[in-house]
Amino acid sequence: MTDDAGDADEQTDLDLIARWKGGDQRAATLLVERHAGAVARFARSVGARGDEQDVVQDTFVRAFASMDSFRGDSSLRTWLFTIARRLLLDLRRSERRRGEHVEVQDGDAVTEYDSLDSVVAEETRQRMFAAVGRLSKTQREVFMLRVSEGLSYKEIAEVARTTEGAARVHYHNAMRAIKEFLDD
Amino acid sequence: MTDCPNANVRDLLPDLVHGRLDAKARVMVEAHLAGCADCEAEHALLRDLRASLRRTPHLDLAAIAAAVPAYRAPMRRSWVEWRTAAAITVLVAGGSSVALLQRNVAPRMDTVAVATGPVASVPASSSESLAAHTTAPRSAPGQTQLPEQVAPVLNQPLVASAPVARGPAASGRELAMGGGSFNDLSDRELASFLEDIESLDAVPSVEVDNAALAPIAPSAPRRATP
Repeated sequence: MTDDAGDADEQTDLDLIARWKGGDQRAATLLVERHAGAVARFARSVGARGDEQDVVQDTFVRAFASMDSFRGDSSLRTWLFTIARRLLLDLRRSERRRGEHVEVQDGDAVTEYDSLDSVVAEETRQRMFAAVGRLSKTQREVFMLRVSEGLSYKEIAEVARTTEGAARVHYHNAMRAIKEFLDD
Repeated sequence: MTDCPNANVRDLLPDLVHGRLDAKARVMVEAHLAGCADCEAEHALLRDLRASLRRTPHLDLAAIAAAVPAYRAPMRRSWVEWRTAAAITVLVAGGSSVALLQRNVAPRMDTVAVATGPVASVPASSSESLAAHTTAPRSAPGQTQLPEQVAPVLNQPLVASAPVARGPAASGRELAMGGGSFNDLSDRELASFLEDIESLDAVPSVEVDNAALAPIAPSAPRRATP
């Protein structure tokens, strides 16, 4: 799977969007291949569990349906993260209304990542997942966007609906917490 | 593992891991890393974390791509469409106004029908019932006024009330007119009285639109206003 811009195609996201608007559906496929993995990882970091496929698909459908509102002020990937985050929040909210979901509190997040332990072989990797799993929801979201996806603080602030300063504080607090956990 | 006091360099370490630094910043950060064990350790940790956390869930990309809709350009309304929309708006607003006006007119016509009816069927000899049927509806607000030639006669308590009662029952009968009777009238008063009778219309000539009255038949039940 290729999900880094430029790996599959030299054309920029805006070029592919223009091709798609011109009737080239293949351009949409290239954009999906380029960004779907990152959207899935982000969705998992903010609470998706087993429904990443649906979340990613709904994210792309909604994004392409409202592509005229994408002005290119931010990157397409950042915009996709914003849509995915909103979708997940709505999904979890509706699940809570139906009583189908017990909200994961900050302290319970370890359980979520513990489920991945059986898949992850190396002890180091297990400890890293556990360390990230102990973070608060906001810290984990910011840390994943910064470390896993490489977003700037400005882009993180846009996705997480916060400020650059707050994003920076969340990142450094998360980094300190992870170091302390790994040093124990 | 301790933190380096150089927060600016630590802020840039994730960008270094992702190759997002420009040449000048990259040289500066790498120079710092060469002499700072804490930052070098944090840099190594970030690389491991990125490698561990970037494990992507399995996705059916073909299904996602197939669900992407084809582009639909936003519709731009033409001048003709705008004019049509404006015309429809005017018609709807006008129709609503007419309907509202008709609803306001209907109760008035209903009242007129009540006011005109009793005058023709008033009992012959009772001045009280005559007054009740002729004056009461006129005093109600919002009702149609009687013609000028009728009003002065009706306002005369003695003379005007009796003539309205037309018919054989009134002939030669003593009327309760302040305790008097026709026998007490002089010839001149009697002649004046007869002239008044001639000048009086049995049914006030109120101009009523029959078309408007038609749907409000007297026997038709009215819906009570809540």
